[in-house]
Amino acid sequence: MAKKNMEQLMGLIDKMPTVPAKVGEFILMELMAIAVAREVRNDDIVFAGTGLPMVGIMAANLLDTPNATLIYESGICDGKTMHVPLSVGDQRAANLSSTLGGLVDTFGYYLQQGFVSLGFLGGAAIDKYGGVNVTSIGDYFSPSHRFTGSGGNSDIGTMARRTAFIILQEKRRFLERNEYTTTPGWWCWDFKTNEWKPKREVWKNTPYASSGPVAVVTNMGVYRFDENGEIYLETVHPGVTVAQVKENCGFDLNVSLVKGETLAPNYKELFVLREFVDPELIFLPQKVEYTKAIQSIIDAG
Amino acid sequence: MARIRDKRKKAEIISLEQAVKTFMHDGIVCAFSGFTGFNRNPFAFAWETARQGVKNLHVLDRHGSQCTWLLNAVEAIKIFETNWMGWGEMAGKLDMNLQRNYKAGKMILEDYSHGATAMRFLAGAVGAPFIPYYAPLGSDLYNPKYDSLGKAGLRDGKNPRIAKKKFIQMEDPFYGDGDVILVPAARPELAIIHVAQCGEKGTARWRGVSTIDKEIAFASDKVIILAEEVVSEAELRKTPEANQIPFFTVDAIVECPWGAFPSSVPFYYDYDAPFMREMDKASRTPEDIKKWLDEWVFGPANWEDFVIKLGAKRLLDLKADSVSGYSSRMLRGKVPPPRMTLPLSVIRSGY
Repeated sequence: MAKKNMEQLMGLIDKMPTVPAKVGEFILMELMAIAVAREVRNDDIVFAGTGLPMVGIMAANLLDTPNATLIYESGICDGKTMHVPLSVGDQRAANLSSTLGGLVDTFGYYLQQGFVSLGFLGGAAIDKYGGVNVTSIGDYFSPSHRFTGSGGNSDIGTMARRTAFIILQEKRRFLERNEYTTTPGWWCWDFKTNEWKPKREVWKNTPYASSGPVAVVTNMGVYRFDENGEIYLETVHPGVTVAQVKENCGFDLNVSLVKGETLAPNYKELFVLREFVDPELIFLPQKVEYTKAIQSIIDAG
Repeated sequence: MARIRDKRKKAEIISLEQAVKTFMHDGIVCAFSGFTGFNRNPFAFAWETARQGVKNLHVLDRHGSQCTWLLNAVEAIKIFETNWMGWGEMAGKLDMNLQRNYKAGKMILEDYSHGATAMRFLAGAVGAPFIPYYAPLGSDLYNPKYDSLGKAGLRDGKNPRIAKKKFIQMEDPFYGDGDVILVPAARPELAIIHVAQCGEKGTARWRGVSTIDKEIAFASDKVIILAEEVVSEAELRKTPEANQIPFFTVDAIVECPWGAFPSSVPFYYDYDAPFMREMDKASRTPEDIKKWLDEWVFGPANWEDFVIKLGAKRLLDLKADSVSGYSSRMLRGKVPPPRMTLPLSVIRSGY
């Protein structure tokens, strides 16, 4: 079969079945990207970080939430991307945008002004209240690991109405308390009184007092936060057990609200991810072969 | 910094060597243009700075870039006051040169956030001494214990470009909208800005994102513009709304084609992801970085020689198309990019 051009492939999107794919038919990163996509609402203004958050948000924009607006921190407002950007400063992200500006626009006019309804970010470590560390491990002044530091993480992660994080799950990354909190979660330090307090109190009277993390996607499951701002496990990814998740968590994780397995990406979602979001195999480095049934839809189309 | 100027500037067109020699000096506080290692980094200027052996730099910047990667490779940065110490995002996130120097105690890192850095430059640009900003209360960024410049004894008021405090947290005294963080204005001595086009008087223009380049230009005492092309000032003034930097802020102009390589200049050329991955690989050990520097920084006779060394094939692949502003030939992942006429999101749902 001759390779289809993009226009021909576009015509096939709605022919793809929306039933979940089976384990082995997709890679973990595809599952995580689609889990990100499901957090997006159609009326969201989304501020996303480079990497899987951006891939997931782009997928959402091409699937069920076409009206979601994407803000990229270098100054881009509502880019309509044809090729996946390698950075939020990539000209690819600026394609057909509404306006182009700079950091004062994105962090000031859009974010601090309160327009951003969803922030999607990465992190190196997270605490049980959704506080994120992207700065350092060990003593701050002589760390055993020094990461890149905040970037936009702490701004977006505290001023967007809802925030969500994508993090690699390991015991040393899921902690009762971070060694350094770059982006505070639902509980944080009040440095004026030196007390550990709910974010609502530290941020009292500011417009962002009730903004904060609502979801965390890892390589093992999806998490939400309870009324006290404490993280709990909502679903485990296919093939992962609750016991395994607990083994890879550094605190006593609430698993009493687990609803079952994370819904696997469906064939339409996988088709859009592979053919339109990242056909260059940059973020999703491996493409599992389509099943015979899916390949025959492509060949016939 | 707000300052009454008795004498107005007159921009001169000079060579890259001359620009570094005239404007850079040991201990200077400087800022570079662009976005991370991907967009309009004045790499040629950093490259020449490394070659001339300028040391003890205090880089006050929006984040790491090709420039800071290279200057860290030659151990030229003493203080890095910023918010993101990476440089290449998906082509090499952590700056391994910085990591090595920092762990060896050779440099000071001062952490802010990206938004706070933008606000600091905005305050500097409009001549305000400081600016209130909300985020992020409760973050260790504003933990009084974590003030690197303070710990180093540098907030004693002796250096007019280092604020006496990292921040002040206070309650909004006007509307009562909770606590805010006051951050000090950024006041570098020199802004180094790579643009697409610059007129002979200094009016400058780029396409694509602005990041904080206009703010950097106004916040700094002196401004050097590096341009892909020096063009007729009169032509740029036919569409003044497309220009960003007014001529009277500019001290010197350097015409430097491909001067932002390996970052991109939208509508001129793309970033070189494979080259950046090689840089990242070379920075993993002191031996490899020395080899890389000898080959790419100290080897070429001058910047033109560096570009010649890159080869025509690479430059052809990187050349941006004049419609999208980026290259459609460059291999970024494992497969070449597909041809597209319109983004799928627009086709499926309009704007």
